[in-house]
Amino acid sequence: MDTPNENINQDLEVVVKNPVTKIPENQSYGAIVKRQFNKNRPAVWALRMIVFIATIGLFADFLANEKPLMCKYEGKTFFPVVREYIVGLGGSWPTELGNIVDWKTAKYDYVIWAPIPYGQSEMDYMNANYVSPTGEQNVESRRWWHWLGTDEVGRDVMSGMIHGTRIAMMVGVVSMSIASVIGIFMGAMAGYFGDEKIKTSWVNIFLFLASVPIAFFYGFQVRSYAIGDGFQNSLFSALFQILIGIVIFAAILIAGQYLAKFITRIFKIKGETNVPVDILVSRFIEILISVPGLLLIMSIVAIAKPSIMLVMVIIGATSWTGIARFTRGELLRVRNLEYIEAAQSLGYSEWRTIFRHAIPNSLSPVLIAIAFGVAGAILTESFLSFLGIGVEAEVATWGKLLSLARKNFGAWWLALAPGFAIFITVTVYNLMGEGLTDALDPRLKQ
Amino acid sequence: MFKYILTRILYFIPTLLIITLLTFLLSQAAPGDPVETRLQGGMQGAQGGGMSEKQAGEKAYIEMSKKLGLDLPAFYFSLTSQAEPTELYKIYRKKERENLERLINRYGNWDYINPYYLSIKKLEVSLFPIPRDTNTYNGLKVLKEGINSLLNNYDDNKLTIDLANMEAAINTISTIRIDSVTQIEKNYFAEVLPIFNEVKANYAAIKANPSKWKTKLPAINWIGIGNQYHVWLCGNRPWFKSSEDPSLRGGFIRGDFGESYLDGRPVSSIIKDALPITMGLNVVSVTIAYLMSVWLGVYLSKRKDSKVDRVLSIILFILYSLPGFWVATMAIVYLTTNEYGLDWFPTYGLFSNDLADDATFWEVLKDGGAHIILPIFVMTYGSFTYITRQMRGSMLAVLKQDYIRTAVAKGLPDKVVTWKHAFRNSLIPVITMFASLFPAMISGSVVIEVIFSIPGMGRVGYEAVLARNYPVLFTVLIFSAVLTMIGILIADVLYSVADPRISFTKKK
Repeated sequence: MDTPNENINQDLEVVVKNPVTKIPENQSYGAIVKRQFNKNRPAVWALRMIVFIATIGLFADFLANEKPLMCKYEGKTFFPVVREYIVGLGGSWPTELGNIVDWKTAKYDYVIWAPIPYGQSEMDYMNANYVSPTGEQNVESRRWWHWLGTDEVGRDVMSGMIHGTRIAMMVGVVSMSIASVIGIFMGAMAGYFGDEKIKTSWVNIFLFLASVPIAFFYGFQVRSYAIGDGFQNSLFSALFQILIGIVIFAAILIAGQYLAKFITRIFKIKGETNVPVDILVSRFIEILISVPGLLLIMSIVAIAKPSIMLVMVIIGATSWTGIARFTRGELLRVRNLEYIEAAQSLGYSEWRTIFRHAIPNSLSPVLIAIAFGVAGAILTESFLSFLGIGVEAEVATWGKLLSLARKNFGAWWLALAPGFAIFITVTVYNLMGEGLTDALDPRLKQ
Repeated sequence: MFKYILTRILYFIPTLLIITLLTFLLSQAAPGDPVETRLQGGMQGAQGGGMSEKQAGEKAYIEMSKKLGLDLPAFYFSLTSQAEPTELYKIYRKKERENLERLINRYGNWDYINPYYLSIKKLEVSLFPIPRDTNTYNGLKVLKEGINSLLNNYDDNKLTIDLANMEAAINTISTIRIDSVTQIEKNYFAEVLPIFNEVKANYAAIKANPSKWKTKLPAINWIGIGNQYHVWLCGNRPWFKSSEDPSLRGGFIRGDFGESYLDGRPVSSIIKDALPITMGLNVVSVTIAYLMSVWLGVYLSKRKDSKVDRVLSIILFILYSLPGFWVATMAIVYLTTNEYGLDWFPTYGLFSNDLADDATFWEVLKDGGAHIILPIFVMTYGSFTYITRQMRGSMLAVLKQDYIRTAVAKGLPDKVVTWKHAFRNSLIPVITMFASLFPAMISGSVVIEVIFSIPGMGRVGYEAVLARNYPVLFTVLIFSAVLTMIGILIADVLYSVADPRISFTKKK
């Protein structure tokens, strides 16, 4: 009974000990950032919106599905959607009711449908040819209403929107993960080593150049058929084969470097030269931004089989320049700080200094680039699928739904809903980026 | 300054080289046989025909691959395994070549694979004189399909089955016929049999003498300038001399971008039609965007935190996030048809189809203007909002500076403070932005051109993607890269104009 009072007392004690008006002197950087971010109301709302959209994407199967969530058929209870979800994740589940019955016409003892009882590629023949959400629909009851209408062949637009959310979220996550890994690595190399920090002997450089073709041969050329056949099977097996290739490639290069060390030591070769890492990386970035990204992605996607995963990977592999530049700038600053000097004087290896000390302290500005990058990636992907490039026929994406509006100008719902979804998602990520920029900007620190 | 621009243009060269390398790599990785695409399946008709047709098809194929420059090795050097011979590129047909590569990868003994391949070809030729009639029809069909399969398969099981099928066809089917002229009994397949046995023996020899270790050893071969990339880039026509030989190519740097796979039209003429349109649209749109947004940015920064500022800032932010292709789609759906009663603008293209040939200048201008309003609007609003926001921000930062306060304290009129002291300094970041804006605008014009059916570079590139018309696609890619680099260079030059403190030449 007296718990509330106790709580109030405790709260009061806290308040008395730490008056709200006074900000503690030694607040952590994270706390300052959090406070600054929370002050920015649009950014906070954007974050909530992102969580909401991500939840829709995560549970798309449960929100819109042609199969029942749960049903009782001939005395047995089934969970078809759960089964689909688990099998989709690679698990196993005993029986599939779908092989026995047609989902929509079966006589169930008891059934719970998903909120939107239509699949993303299920065609409702009774409501084909652009049924309007406000017009007449040939459905049994409101339960089966097409809330956002249908397209030419009777696919439910609402269901497509929900499943498109998942694609949009995946595009953001996958492409930005790839871009972050490449961008942070390249930026860190350029920023930390600069143009004069890596000194190496001519033997090293020569052996490096010589081992590149050999490493390429054993990493990729010998295995080119394994990789090619991997693409025929699935993208995952291809990526796995490519990964093995990269490991072999790296191993041979590293072996070459050890050989070079060995040679320099035995023959006592002197004379070192700088490796201008910064110039090399900056030049590479310059080249990459000279090529219009959209056209480059279109060219690459044109020569491959349509696959949404491939689009994500390519967007990631071409959009890391912003992240790299942010990281580079931060590391240029960080590398001269005392604690890095301390790490170096303690005899830590360069790699340990970079990855354990330098990079973790320069990641926060990268978050800004990532937030804006997600918005850009979603925009690029939806435009590509709007053009019908790189998307499998059975996958519903926002861009693809929007492109249907060009076929029938009368279908206003097809022009509005997907475009609005893209707009909202891009806006919340942009707001998020702005909020982070403000929160992470040390000039605003009070 | 001049020296700086010259150095920058020199810097273009390695960048461009890498871009051409990249596109060349893409064209090599592209699936499908470009020669067959170009011949538009003309070969399919010849496949089933008699000797002359077949040979004519083969000749056309070789001529086309010479014309496309595909009769050469790919690059200046090649990195292959020891097993792979350097002369493999001489096998014209891409599919057959790829299949031979597979065989080499499996057995590693080109010395045995080569005679096997040649004997299959010999077998193919030996079938030509056999007349097609009811007696030989089935046998010929099995043999032809078998040869086709031998040329396109490398799997041992499949090849064994094919060989067995072919052998059965030769041996079992009665083919003894009476020659119409000499009245002598003649077994046509009897002549084929020894050649077939040769094929079989050669295949057995491949399997019997594998040298797989050769596939595990790298070999670097120097080829020289007689390669596809060099010919594509620099051409093989002599410089500074006119040459009448049409098979010699000018190369990319001499303006010979190859021919469209679809209709054989030179890519250079396609680009010549499309480039001015894209350039024109972009120049108009950039000019409008800069003129309007610089003014609006200054205006807003002077009225910071007023109602106008707050409302316009929100509107600008929303506009900034609006995806261009959505706005364009909405504009087309709602504003160009009578579906919603708002038939204000023409829907597609640059000019009306029914525009008379002898239309006066004003009619043409009116028609083109009506077509161009929506595309220009969609192209402009994105960069407009972006520049305005940046301009406002940088103007606010400058207005906080001490020298502005000094200028105000001196009693200078407001106009002079704003435009003479603050404006010029706040312009610098906005100009640097031009460099990053330009690539975005090129990509943006793809969006606009595709949606509004404007025949510019973006649309040409998009259609090339759909049709897998690689020469056009890669030319568009390289051209847009060049345009982007020029845009960045212009931004750098403008930068020094706006800020005299910045000098690109080192002072001694």
